[in-house]
Formats: sequence, C-alpha cells, structure tokens
Amino acid sequence: MTGREGKQAYPVARVGDFGEADRLVVQVKNVEIGLFKVGNDYYAWRNLCPHAAAPICAGTVCGTMLPSGVYEHEFGREGEIVRCPWHNWEFDLRTGELLADPSVKLRGFELVREGEELHLLL
Amino acid sequence: MSDNRPTMIDTDVHNSMTGKQDLLPYLPKAYHQAWLAYGAGYGGSYLGTGAHSVTRRDARPDGGGPPASDPNYVIRHHLAPYGIDYAILTGSGILGISLVSDPDYGNVIARAYNDWLADTWLKASPRYKGSILINHSDPQAAVQEIERMGPHPDMVQVIMCSGSRNLFGQRMFHPIYEAAERHGLPVAIHPGTEGRGNAGPPTPSGHPTRYFEWHNIIPINYMSHVNSLVCEGVFEKFPELKFVAIEGGFAWLPHLMWRMDKNYKGLRDQVPWLKCKPSEYIRGHILLTTQPIEEPDDPAHLGQILDMIGGDHMIMYSSDYPHWDFDNPKVALRSIRRELRQRIFADNAIQLYGLSEKPGEGASV
Ligand code: FES
Repeated sequence: MTGREGKQAYPVARVGDFGEADRLVVQVKNVEIGLFKVGNDYYAWRNLCPHAAAPICAGTVCGTMLPSGVYEHEFGREGEIVRCPWHNWEFDLRTGELLADPSVKLRGFELVREGEELHLLL
Repeated sequence: MSDNRPTMIDTDVHNSMTGKQDLLPYLPKAYHQAWLAYGAGYGGSYLGTGAHSVTRRDARPDGGGPPASDPNYVIRHHLAPYGIDYAILTGSGILGISLVSDPDYGNVIARAYNDWLADTWLKASPRYKGSILINHSDPQAAVQEIERMGPHPDMVQVIMCSGSRNLFGQRMFHPIYEAAERHGLPVAIHPGTEGRGNAGPPTPSGHPTRYFEWHNIIPINYMSHVNSLVCEGVFEKFPELKFVAIEGGFAWLPHLMWRMDKNYKGLRDQVPWLKCKPSEYIRGHILLTTQPIEEPDDPAHLGQILDMIGGDHMIMYSSDYPHWDFDNPKVALRSIRRELRQRIFADNAIQLYGLSEKPGEGASV
C-alpha cells in the first residue's frame, strides 16, 4: 500500500497485539521502532534516545510531576511519558519532546490506523 | 554615550571604622560593654605563618587609623588614581554578625553599623554607595532592617556573609528576598566567614588546615549557595531579584551550569517549579565580582571561560581595597576582550545599581 506524500505504508502491528502492554518494538527496513499506546492513540518513535543512543523502548512509561508553583508537587500525565532507561530523560510520548528542553526530540514516524491495523509510513 | 556616564565602578571596597568606639553613638547602651569586649564576635581566621596581612601595608591613611577608615583618604589613595567613579561599600570585620550565637546581638550590631555607615561614609562623598548589613540567621529581623534602611537613597543593596548554617535557597531566607525585591535591592553575599562563628565547616569534609587552603576553596560555598538558590525556585518566586556573589571567583561557573543543566534533563521532576534550564536562572539573576580574578598561565583561557559563561552582563569589577588580594584595574582585566572589559568595569554595575551618571557635587576631595 502507498500512503500519503508517496510514502510507503508498512503494516507493523494489529491493535490487539498490544494486549496489556503499553509498547511493542517492531523492525522496519532494519530500523527498530517503538510503538506506544497512549490512551486510545498510537505513536511510533525510533528506539534510540537522542541523548546517548539508549534503547528508549526499554524505559518506563509513566506519569510525572507537572509544572507547578514553588514547593508544590502535582503528579499527572500517567502513561504519557517515557523515561529513558539510562539517564532518565523524560519524553512526551505524544510529541516526542524532552520535558526539560522541548528542542530535543525523539525521532518519530507517522503511524496510521486502518481498522485494527497499524501502518507505519516511511 | 553621555560624557557623564561612569567609566569605572568598584563593587567591593571595605570601609572600616577607625575603632570600635565609632559604633557606640549608634548602639544601645546595653550593648556597649559587649561590643567593646567582643567586637563582631565570630572568631578568628585560619592561621598562616604570621607573615601575611589581610590588609595592604600601603593602605594606612596618612592621618592614622586602620586601612580604609578615612573616606577622604580612600578617594585620594584608591578612587581618584584609578578613575573609579563609585565605590560600593561592603564593610570591614563586621559581616560575620550573622554567625554569632546570640541573634539579638547580631541584630543590634547590624542596625548600629547601618546607621554609622549612613551617617559617616555615605555623607562623606556621593562616590560612596552603601550595602545594608543584615543578620541572615534571624530572617525576620533582617526583613525589618531592610524595611528600615531600604528607602535610604544611597543604600544600593543588601549584604550578608556567605558563611551560614543553611543554604541560601532554603525557604527560611525567602522573606529576605521578598523584602529586597520589593525595595528594588540586589542581595549580595561576601566571603571570609566560611567556617567561622557558628557557620558550617568550609568543606563537607571539615576544616582546611591553613589560611591558604581555606582561601583556595571558598568557591565551593558559592557554588553551593547558587545551586541552592536555583533549585529551591527562589528566582521563580522572586523574578525581579538579583543576587550578587562577591569575591567568590567565577571560573567555576561553566562547570556548575553544565552539571546542573545535564542533571535537570533527567531529574527535572524533583524541581517541577523550574520552568527553564538552571543555567538560564543563573544568567538571569546572578552577578559575580571579579576579584580575586583567576590568573591562568595562559591569560587567554580567562576570556574563554567568560565566553563559556555566556553572560557578558553578569560580571562586575571589584578591587577588594584595602585587602591583600587587591586587583589593580589597570592590570587584572587586560586579557579580556575590550567591549566585555567595559561592561565589567562599569556598564553592568551601572545597570544593577542604577548609577547612570557620574557622582555630582562634592565628588572630589
Ligand atoms: S541515553 Fe537516554 S537519557 Fe541518556
């Protein structure tokens, strides 16, 4: 199947493949890609941390402390953050941005859902 | 640029009393005996061989008295020869009153000193600008002192010693920053009291052995305070506050900034009130004075360090007159690129202290 802008669409997983998991690691054209389920949405990020090349998919999917006033602690965004397994950088799974510095991002791929099928556009 | 703009401001000049008796007219009678007996009372300094003197041997006023105890002589001996328009006065032998065990004593001495300063040096010449001395161990009393002296037109900052029992970012100190910010006054710290009085030891592993060793390591206390101020969110809470790190060096700053920024990426959730990288708070709020300037074997390295700091607005010239480690403005900053040198000599202090015109009438002797 040929996707938008002439990209090739690769069927990478079925929604049911996730089971209870919040991520799957797939391989497309020799590139390791993490598929993340956030709520009812799906995102594809390269399995490589932009900091020092850790396998980001081995990190923890979690929530975090929200931006707050001084000495306030408010926890939120459960399931929307991945923490790198090496140096603990927190990335927003919806945008790929590093929370501490949004100019740093995970490398993302377009993922489209066709019924139960997830297609990666490359 | 107007001809009347200052070309050099010295941000650390140690005005001294001629003797303890100078303070008596400003001190309640109940404290006269104690002041004459104990002075500032925060202990002696670290030992050397005895050959070294903290004050310059050439700085004794021709009319007698201790170095920098005669405002007119300081103009003749220091300000005029080097073309210094303003001297920011930082006191002498008294900063450590925050470290005496009796807070009432510390408070009353701070008040008396500020009144003496306003009545003597600040009246002697418009070239002199004062620092309001506070006892940081009693933040409530410190706030009262800032309220009392803050409106004085020639008081340009709050000053406290850098020796402390607690790191300065901690919340007990926040009322001091609130009051200073409200009065539009920077808060300055000055070293020399590390490990003295009831301050913590100058290193986490205890006391250095000799004065040399103690003097070398003062910057770790400065790093600790700057780190604490940023991490505790002081500059989020008080966005207009400026903090002046006097006489603690600056070459350590790139290391601290890099380390803080790096850790912030992984440990941000412990300080969710920070809204930007730690180094950005440092650049936005911390100023540092030059003396004792680091003197690398290759002078060009100093300029490289300043480039790494990346804040040409952050550094201000200071001499530390009349102390032994004085920096001659004609020599000490020679290796620094010209436009930055001018900012360091005057522009940064002009902006911080609002001294945009040279001093007026009575400025010369
Ligand atoms: S490699 Fe991911 S945070 Fe360092």
